[in-house]
Formats: sequence, structure tokens, C-alpha cells
Amino acid sequence: MVEFRNVSYTYPSGQQALNRINLKIDDSEFVFVVGANGAGKSTLIKLLLRELTATEGEVVVNGFNLSTMKQRKVPKLRRTIGVVFQDFRLIPNMTVYDNVAFALRVIDAPLKYIRARVPYVIQLVGLTAKAKSYPNDLSGGEQQRVALARALVNDPQLIIADEPTGNVDPARSFEIVELLQAINECGTTVLMVTHQHELVRYFGGRIININAGAVVFDEVIGGAYDESASEESAEEFSGGLA
Amino acid sequence: MRLNSFNYLVKQGFSGLWFNRVNSFASLCVVTISLLMVGISILTSYNINNMIGAIESRNEVMVVIQDGTPENNVTLLGEQLGQNPNVFEVNFFSRQQAWEEMQSDMSEKEKALFGDEYFDYIPLPDTYRIRVSDIGELSETVAEISKLDFVESVQSPNDFADILIGIRNLCAILFSAITLSLIIVCFVIISNSTRASVYARRREINIMRYVGASKSFIEIPFFVEGLVIGILSAGIAFGLTWFAYNEVYTMLSTDVDMFQIFGLTALIPFETIAVRTGIAYLICGIFLSAIGTVVSTRKHLNV
Repeated sequence: MVEFRNVSYTYPSGQQALNRINLKIDDSEFVFVVGANGAGKSTLIKLLLRELTATEGEVVVNGFNLSTMKQRKVPKLRRTIGVVFQDFRLIPNMTVYDNVAFALRVIDAPLKYIRARVPYVIQLVGLTAKAKSYPNDLSGGEQQRVALARALVNDPQLIIADEPTGNVDPARSFEIVELLQAINECGTTVLMVTHQHELVRYFGGRIININAGAVVFDEVIGGAYDESASEESAEEFSGGLA
Repeated sequence: MRLNSFNYLVKQGFSGLWFNRVNSFASLCVVTISLLMVGISILTSYNINNMIGAIESRNEVMVVIQDGTPENNVTLLGEQLGQNPNVFEVNFFSRQQAWEEMQSDMSEKEKALFGDEYFDYIPLPDTYRIRVSDIGELSETVAEISKLDFVESVQSPNDFADILIGIRNLCAILFSAITLSLIIVCFVIISNSTRASVYARRREINIMRYVGASKSFIEIPFFVEGLVIGILSAGIAFGLTWFAYNEVYTMLSTDVDMFQIFGLTALIPFETIAVRTGIAYLICGIFLSAIGTVVSTRKHLNV
């Protein structure tokens, strides 16, 4: 569960990024966060990851009150969150398997668990055949799937996807979102930040629009997405994205 | 921490060393040089102190008693000398003993010459020969003794003692300054090396932070890097010191007459101080390198 209570954030330079935001995202929700560049989306993510601390108000994520949280507890918070970035942030000299396993190794997971969990997650994102490949040998969409597998491997309560389709070709963008939706259907809360409005219109759901540091729109809309005809619709919508 | 995680982190530390081999080599060199300087300063001070100790134990101060002093006053003077806190040994040396000692050092010609002339009268005074505990306070002790009744004069190796003490103090100041400067340089180099290492691994560190790696987990590979550099530096410095010390020891003990004044025992053979030197190098190496790395890692990582 994510909750923002009257949250404001002002950078040391004096620039106010967020202004008295109130927001509640329940467990197992799928939320799109949209907004123009500089609207405050990145600040919102940084607050969720406790990279920044709200200058006013309270941020609660997965039961952690980030406003009062001690710095040494931050790793514990982050173990409940999976993060996917636009630029993938994979380690080039590690194979797909090692990139995914890395997320478990650094939290001191048992080797037996790593050996069982990593192939399972790689299979979930459809990359079993590429487990021994290096990131540079993969397409953008495949790299993002690896990043998604890495975010998923810790079995997080919340996945934050920051522009996950930004570096992926339009057709693959739909696959990424479908994958995120499949993850969401298993009970993981997903917060996806994007400025690709076509994607949002296509998939629909809860949309939060941030503008000039304030939530200007927060409603559930119906999408054009229909599982039975998703491929056709995706083709049609991807034309709009290109 | 699990064994597999520990192995993983150690492996990361070693791969970091190789990945940043130029910086690692620079750190290794500077830590080795620093350790060598620290080692040289300590060993030099140690040997100078040992030499001063040898001089203290061998050199006597001669207290010349006024001619014609009554026997009971001579005894009283001996007691007064023994009460001086810096005097640890007092021996009465009569004019007869002094004369015999002098004659034993004379050649036959000298004996014939002086023996006949002074047969009825020994021209030497009665003396007390004393030894001091601290040669550093020799001047003060001599001044105090000179004021005592029935003391004609006091003869002591003041000048030589002053030279040695001067050398000891100069060495202490010089080596302290050099050591301190090198420690600062060492920390700067290690800090730069760590910064480069952190930069080279920024992608991994960033991911580690996002997936919830603890601060110590992120720092351990850097600590391993520092530890390895520290241990290697200590080993190299120890080897170099051993070699150089033995060379100097051999040279001074065979070629330089000056050092034979103090006898060979004044210079300490390396074998007797090898273990202590090795441990000191190891501790200093680990402190300088590993601790320096952790401190600078915290500064640059901002985890």
C-alpha cells in the first residue's frame, strides 16, 4: 500500500517539485502515473524509494513511514519494492541469469533459493533461451524483460516502473505492459510512470496525472484493451506510438 | 552473513582490484613507501636508543675527590652520590688502584720512565666512578655533583652524550614529520583510488542500492580491496626492510669503525625484531589501506 498525505517536496535550490499531494494506492492495484517532463513524476518515485525525504507531509510505503524512517532501515524498505528503469540498468559483463541473481545475492539470499528462483523468474518473462546471453546481445524489449525479472525476483509487494517502454520499440512496449499486468494479476501492486498516452488509453485503468507538482487527475478509465483481440489492437495503437 | 555471500563479496573485491589495477598499483606503492618510512623511522629510533643505552651502561662519570679529604668525608661523599636519583652505581677507585690500572696500560718503556720518577708519590687522585641511569640528564647530574663538598672536579662524556641525544631528538622529529606527511598522502591516494573504483562500479552500486543491499554489503568489496593492498604492502615493505636492514647491519658492523665504539651489540640484528616489525607493518598496512578505503568509500558512496 502506498499513501501520500499532504506531501510537498522542495529541492534545496528552492524549486518546488510536489505541492501537498494526497494519494492512496491500495495493494494489488495497477496505476499509470502520467505527466509532462518536470511535472514531478521523478520526484514522486524518489520519494517512494526514499532517495528523497518529503519536506512536508508523510509518505507510507508497504507499512514503512518514510518520513520518520531511519536511514539504516532504507534497505529493508527497498527489498519490498522492485524498480524498472527506462535505461534498463543491467550490468553488461553479467549474463541474464547473473543480472537477475545479482538482486538476490546482494540481499544475502541462500544459494539454494537463488538457484530455484532465478530460472523460474527468467521463464516468467520468457527469456529461458537467453539466460546465458549478455545484455548487449539482447534487443531493447528483451533487456527490459531482464530488468523486469530482476525487479520481480525478490517477490516485491510493489513494482515501480519508471518509463519502462521509453527505450523499447512500440510493438514491444505493449508486451512490457502486458507483462506488468500479468504480474499485477498475481497480487503485486504496479505503479507505472509513462508519458506515452497511447499506451494509457489502450490499457486504461487508474490514471494519475501530475502537473506542476499537483495531482490534477486521478480516475479509472476504460481502455481499448481486449485480451481476445489484443494483438490487433496493439498493432493499431503502436502505430500511434511510433 | 552466508558463506556464499561472503565468497561472492571477496571475489568482487579481488575483481575490483584487477579492474582498477592502475589505481590499485598506485595505492600499493604509496602504502608500501609509507610503511617503509614508518619502519625506517621506528627501527632507527630503536637502534639509536639502544646505542644510547649502551653508552649509558658503559660510560662512567669520574668524580675527583679533593686531595687530603679525610676518610670519613670520602665515605660520606660516596653516600651522597648514591642518593642522587640519576646515579645507579657508585664505585670508589683509590689512587693506588688508578695507578695500577694506568701502569697495566703502559708499555715497558713508559713503566720504566714513570715508575722510577713517581715511586714515592702517586700523582693520581682518589675518585668515585659512577654510572647514570639517564644520559639525557647527565649535565644536570654533573652540575649537582660538582656542588658537593670535597669534590675537586667531575669528568663526564657530556659532549658525546649531547650529540647522541641531539641525533635521537632530530630523528624523532624528522621521522614523525615524514610519517605524518606520508599518512596524509596515503589517505589522499587511497581516497582517489576508491573514488575511481566507486565510479567504475557505479552501475552495480546503484542497482545494489535499489534492490536493498545493506550499507555494509556494498562496502565489503572495497574493504577487501583495501585489505589485500594493505597485506601486500606490508609483505613487500617487510621484505625490503629485511634486505636493507641486513645490508646496513653488515656494512656498519664490518666497515665502519665508529660503530665499533659501541660494540656490535649496539645494533640490533633484524632476526630479533623481525616478528615485531612484521606485526607492526601488518597492522599499519591494514589500518592505512583497509580503514582508509572504508572511510573514503563512505565519503564517495553516499549509501
